[in-house]
Amino acid sequence: MLSYQFDWSIILSGKYFEWLLSGLKVTLQLSLAGIILSFLLGLIVAVMRMSHFSPIRWAAWAFLEFTRNTPLLVQIFFWYFGSYKFLPTAVNDWLNAQSFEFAAALIALTIYTSAFIAEDIRSGVLSIPKEQMEAARSAGFSYLRSMQYIILPQAVRITVPPLVNQFLNLAKNSSLAMTIGVMELTYQARQVESYTFKGFEAFTAATVVYLAISIIITFLVHQYNERVLKLHKAA
Amino acid sequence: MKKLVNLFMLMALVAVSTQALAAPPADTLAAIKKSKVLVAGVKDSLPPFGYIDEKTRTIIGYDIDFINAIAAKLGAKVELKPVTSASRMPQLQEGNIDIIAATMTKNAERAKVIDFSHTYFFTGQKFITKKGTVKSLKDLEGKKIGTAKGSTSEQNVKKSIPTSTVLSFDDYPQAFLALQQGKVQAVTTDEAILAGILAKAPNKEQFEIPAVQISDEPYGLGMRKGDKNFVDFVNKTILEMEKSGEAKKIYDKWFGPNTQFHLQRNFKIVADK
Repeated sequence: MLSYQFDWSIILSGKYFEWLLSGLKVTLQLSLAGIILSFLLGLIVAVMRMSHFSPIRWAAWAFLEFTRNTPLLVQIFFWYFGSYKFLPTAVNDWLNAQSFEFAAALIALTIYTSAFIAEDIRSGVLSIPKEQMEAARSAGFSYLRSMQYIILPQAVRITVPPLVNQFLNLAKNSSLAMTIGVMELTYQARQVESYTFKGFEAFTAATVVYLAISIIITFLVHQYNERVLKLHKAA
Repeated sequence: MKKLVNLFMLMALVAVSTQALAAPPADTLAAIKKSKVLVAGVKDSLPPFGYIDEKTRTIIGYDIDFINAIAAKLGAKVELKPVTSASRMPQLQEGNIDIIAATMTKNAERAKVIDFSHTYFFTGQKFITKKGTVKSLKDLEGKKIGTAKGSTSEQNVKKSIPTSTVLSFDDYPQAFLALQQGKVQAVTTDEAILAGILAKAPNKEQFEIPAVQISDEPYGLGMRKGDKNFVDFVNKTILEMEKSGEAKKIYDKWFGPNTQFHLQRNFKIVADK
């Protein structure tokens, strides 16, 4: 251990730097697309969960419990390997010709994270006095429009801090995509280690990058929050 | 003073005797013909090349069958000495063994120190594919190829088929599952590992290991540098074994369809250029 020679130059330039950079690109793509899609899906599921029509409510509840209570890794394998059994051959052939690894990882990340986001949003909605909904309904808004214009805008603002947590989790969880061959940052760090035996350097670089991504997400959402809160106060 | 002389004489004696013991014969072929014993360094724990048979407690294998054939031609008895990859070359140079038959890959670095026979076994990195889909490397251009993380297999693929996409899974069973589902067109790694995967596969008749190879591991029998008569004799013998079909018979015995490996022989023993 003591004889380990640190050599940062190999990962800071040349081939291995490019590997890590291309891994970073994939991680950012996965995270960004995942954050947007899981937020949208989370919103929909949250609204369904609070619906007055019980089959929709139950469907949303079943979805939430199922996705929240199974490991993400298993879900990734389910979408990548398990979906094969349910889809027609033509669809499988088409999927396999695309970069289905990336899509399967994105679907799994989106669905998994959306369950947590839905619950966060629901708790935000529940914190809005129910008289607001009653007032909106008596003013002639439908349930969905009341949600859209009156309840959700307030609820999402309250939900921002816990949502940041979910986004950070998503960005870090994207490293699990490596198990199905998506060449994201952790995958590339491991490749660099395999080829150079410089695992310390490669994983340190990966760690610093994940840290940077997390801090940037936190900062951006915080900025948004500040502005929204100020507007909120001004109004 | 007398003691000192004795000591010197003893030292001289030891020096002379060890030298006499250590000095390998200049012409091994003549020496074996005289002693009627061929001493071969072999692996004893590497099936099916050289390993100890559970029933007879003797070393058997692909390498040993070649040694037996050479000894038979010489009319000599075989004496097998287990060697490791690290010990085999020094053992040969010190004269403890006459020939190395221990899965030794021929390369330029080793060829500076010892002489190699013609290639008697040829292996390397190959592919498992669905039957009939891959005839040559061209069939894999632009395709997805699966392997396991942490191996150098990936680098070899990228070098030989730059247009392919390599997907590295956590382990070979997953890579093979991806092949079964058509997510990759081939799984690649060392032939022996592939043969092991295929042997365990539930629907193995749908898959095959085509005779397409992207890294070469030619195995040679090792002999002392400049031991020309012996090298020529061994080369002549294994070329005759190829001609008579005996070499192929030995291959099929250890690697062929009736073994767990199900390999197709994709080489012939020919004279090196």
